[in-house]
Amino acid sequence: MDEDVLTVRGVSAGYRGREIVADISVALRFGDVLGLLGANGSGKSTLLKAVTGQIRLMTGTVEIAGVDLEHAPERAKAELGLAIDGPELPSALSGRQYLELVASIRSCVASDWPRGDVVSRLGLSAWLARPIAEYSLGTRAKISIAAALLGSPKLLIFDESLNGLDPLAAFEVKAIIRELAASGRHAVVFSTHVVETVPALCTRAIFLAGGRIVEHWNTQELARASQTPGAFEGCVMKALNAHALQSATVA
Amino acid sequence: MRHDTFVLSLIWRETRNSVKSTSASDLAWVVLGGAAFLAYGVGNAIVALRGGSETLRARQEPWIIVLLAAFALGLAVGVILSKVAWSRAFAPFLKALPLSISERRRMAIVAALSIGAPFVVLAGVVISSACLLVDKPYAAAWGFGAGMTCAAGVASALFLHLFVANNEAPNDLSTPFADAAKSIPLPWLGMFDGAAPTWLGVWACGLPAGKMRLTARLFVTSFLFVLAAALAIGASLARHQAAPAAVAGMIVGLIAFMVSLRCHPLGSPVLRSTPQGFVSVWLRLSRLPLVLSAACFVAPASASVIAEPSAWTTPVASGLCLLILNGVYAVFAGFFLNAPLLAALAFFIAVAYAGYESLEYGGAVIIGFTALIALLWHKSLRRYRHG
Repeated sequence: MDEDVLTVRGVSAGYRGREIVADISVALRFGDVLGLLGANGSGKSTLLKAVTGQIRLMTGTVEIAGVDLEHAPERAKAELGLAIDGPELPSALSGRQYLELVASIRSCVASDWPRGDVVSRLGLSAWLARPIAEYSLGTRAKISIAAALLGSPKLLIFDESLNGLDPLAAFEVKAIIRELAASGRHAVVFSTHVVETVPALCTRAIFLAGGRIVEHWNTQELARASQTPGAFEGCVMKALNAHALQSATVA
Repeated sequence: MRHDTFVLSLIWRETRNSVKSTSASDLAWVVLGGAAFLAYGVGNAIVALRGGSETLRARQEPWIIVLLAAFALGLAVGVILSKVAWSRAFAPFLKALPLSISERRRMAIVAALSIGAPFVVLAGVVISSACLLVDKPYAAAWGFGAGMTCAAGVASALFLHLFVANNEAPNDLSTPFADAAKSIPLPWLGMFDGAAPTWLGVWACGLPAGKMRLTARLFVTSFLFVLAAALAIGASLARHQAAPAAVAGMIVGLIAFMVSLRCHPLGSPVLRSTPQGFVSVWLRLSRLPLVLSAACFVAPASASVIAEPSAWTTPVASGLCLLILNGVYAVFAGFFLNAPLLAALAFFIAVAYAGYESLEYGGAVIIGFTALIALLWHKSLRRYRHG
């Protein structure tokens, strides 16, 4: 499938009239896994909020599976699966109730995952009957990921979702992302501070600094970087230092 | 003590930051709109006081009611302030700091008293000004008395909170769900909360995993509801009049709706990042509270029909009125989505003010009231869509 799952054109967004990200353009096709890198406050989460329709775009357009997010938000969001941040999950609901809530919105059953039984794979079964309020950071991340995958949306967005996961669950999540990309029926945006996971997991990566894309790596560059241990990490650190130096000079 | 003003300065900084983060246009609306309303209200009050100055000068009863109102105001201010101060003094980020419970309590009391003092002074000044306006003898004494009763209200609320507060931070991970074992399951809840988005009512009402927590507050509230309805039904049946039960049904139904409606899910990315539209979520959130409101209304309304069958239009009218008031409150709750107390206060003020103005301007007030509801609705919709 050659159709773009996500098209972001000249997007600027922010809060209360203050621009946090500016002039962002990126396109994702089926099978793409985009790694989103950047220092704290670089605009990663703001960009993902803009892409998922949680904040208004100041300029530019976002299309999800060919549907304009501004003009038809409900239709565009139907193709989107976002792993919600742990503290934002509905604490009163049990894990099972939360999955049923998301499934009812996506008009599917609460076990309609694209790759096997995600609950078992992530070791969540024992927690499903308990209120989310009792979950640890990692367990919240697991239920959030499981809910994002429900109904097999075309575009999946994980905003630092590996944070707090135990090694086994983190391994499973990475395996699921790889399987989804390999199936050619999904595209994934994956924001993380765990730099070393990017070359192993992503087909492309972008680096945000000061709300703009300042570095970009394609599939070949990532593949090359992954052959030498620490090479990609070195690239990212160089980009981080260069931007920090630039910011200091401007200040 | 060294940390006594900590909570006070924390609240001051929070307030300053929230003002700073408010956009200039919103601030202008609040300041100019608020000032205009205040000036209008003060003007109205002055005209009313001058109009009834002779009665107010001669009789003491209205001033006794004013003193009682000052106590109630103090109590309300005290309840709000003690909640705000306690939540800061026992905030999770302070848990790890070496502050004893007595130190935290003192920090909270200092903050609540410091913020409450200007309210007390204001109450005194307003009442003594009113006395001066109508040439009431001993204006300063009446003002002082009002200030003191207001202070007594604040102090009573604080004193009560000292006993009631469990001195624990509202921690999402420990309380209030830790006592889920003491909860009773509600297997029939799925019947009312099964439509998409499933379990939205359970989420909104904060029923842990769909179970009801048995608390003293729940028992007291239920008892008061049943008592109010029973008294009204008894009055209607004894006098063979439809009105008492019909009106009580409406009031109890409205209170049940207001107590049970929670709209915080409207602000959650769980819904905002999904293909679920604002209207469907808002309607869905109102479903469980509407069922509860209807259940509370049915018994008194039926009793009013039995008491006076010929006046069947009375319960029908009160039912329609209840539906409209529930709808209006749902708009307020959607706007103040994380502050149900503020939503209730704004709703009561708006309805009372519209009622008062309608005495002078008649039906034209409805246009203004409808415009206010439309504005709140539009703002809530925009926030749901664009943050």
